[in-house]
Amino acid sequence: MLKLEKLNKRFGEHHALVDITTTFPEHQTTVILGPSGSGKSTLLRSLNLLERPESGKYFFDDDVFDFAKGISVKDTLNIRKQTEMVFQGYNLFPHLTVLKNIMEGPVQVLHRPKAEVEREAHTLLAKVGLADKADVYPNQLSGGQAQRVAIARSLAMQPKYILLDEPTSALDPELELEVLKVLKQISTEKRSMIIVTHNMAFAREVADKIIFIEDGHILFDGPNERFFKTDNKRIADFISAMTFANI
Amino acid sequence: MCQFKIMWDIIVNATPQLIVAGLKYTIPISIVSFLLGLILALITALVRLSTKKGPFRIFKAIFRFYVWLFRSTPLLVQLFIVYFGLPYLKIAGIAPDGIKLTPLVAGIITFSLNTGAYCSETIRASILSIPKGQWEAAYSMGMTRSKALSRIILPQAVRVSLPPLANSFIGLVKDTSLAASITIVEMFEVSQQIAAENYQPLIMYCLVAALYAVACSLLSWLQGYLEKITSRYITNVD
Repeated sequence: MLKLEKLNKRFGEHHALVDITTTFPEHQTTVILGPSGSGKSTLLRSLNLLERPESGKYFFDDDVFDFAKGISVKDTLNIRKQTEMVFQGYNLFPHLTVLKNIMEGPVQVLHRPKAEVEREAHTLLAKVGLADKADVYPNQLSGGQAQRVAIARSLAMQPKYILLDEPTSALDPELELEVLKVLKQISTEKRSMIIVTHNMAFAREVADKIIFIEDGHILFDGPNERFFKTDNKRIADFISAMTFANI
Repeated sequence: MCQFKIMWDIIVNATPQLIVAGLKYTIPISIVSFLLGLILALITALVRLSTKKGPFRIFKAIFRFYVWLFRSTPLLVQLFIVYFGLPYLKIAGIAPDGIKLTPLVAGIITFSLNTGAYCSETIRASILSIPKGQWEAAYSMGMTRSKALSRIILPQAVRVSLPPLANSFIGLVKDTSLAASITIVEMFEVSQQIAAENYQPLIMYCLVAALYAVACSLLSWLQGYLEKITSRYITNVD
């Protein structure tokens, strides 16, 4: 179980996250929604410690970390091994083939035997529909393919949580669909996922839990069904804008 | 016609001597100095890019000073200081009679330090040119900074740094001609000696220039080859 308590993050004058307290249940898909600049990516990146909030507590299973006191290098590496990030811009390693991209973490970070990791990597590639791309370099892939490789790369680390930061924002609708299908399949396997997205239809489809953030504050934190039936005026407006209801 | 015959004889006679001097001094000095310089450059770049705080900042200051010093003074003056100057630097206990170096050692030390200063900036820039997302992807999977550097960042930085590093290497090959001034009988020194005997400075200096050009052309070719193999993963580039 991942839990945050009174998380605060500032970028200079800008208070990006204000007293964020929430939980990310295991074996569920949590979707973080909100307008651009609301702090949702900062929140997600804080979970992987790519951002360091100034204060707040971070609960990971039985461990508690206090951002105000700082988190040691050892703890940081440990947390990161268990929370894999999938980025909007894929961030595949361009100098490694698709297969080596997937194997890099398990072999170099988890020090698992190469042969075993390679077998798993092939299985993962098949799972994301790219079995034939193992020996190709990333820049020969389409955006949709690259993002599916990035998803396979994150799965290869067998993390407790997969964090996806607007994974389909850079893709056209057809390629987006390829990626969403893969994500939907993963979500049905009851993995723990946290997704930042702008795609409302997808959120509605896969989310167990939804968090809505605006100006660094959580405006909604609850189950999927309740979010789409909310009477909160601001959230209702957001949903209707995002689904082009009143175009 | 007669003039061409004289010219041809001079070239035929002098070229072997020049090539011997090149093989004995110019090429070994260039290669050894460049390799030492590269190691020094990598260390300098990594120290200067380090995110460590506290007392480590002193190292950063020292390496910054080193780069400043060697980029701000002429190479010829550096050679003179190391070879002619250091014998007068008497340090009680360590070198009471001054630091006396053989010409070759003085030359290699100076060339290494000089090229190291320039190359450190090349390497630093090439590391900085790798997108932040590459660091983040490496960190995200739990890599330490040194692992991210060695596995993800440096392999990509090599490709970026190759053309400017080749520039430095080619520059160094030509700069070794300055070693003539600290009594090393490298290629240029030999050409001067022959010119003093046969009174044909135009032919001799053009000939030695041509030999430097041949050596540097080989390096350019090597650069092209290395660029090709380090760019395998880039498509849409002809």
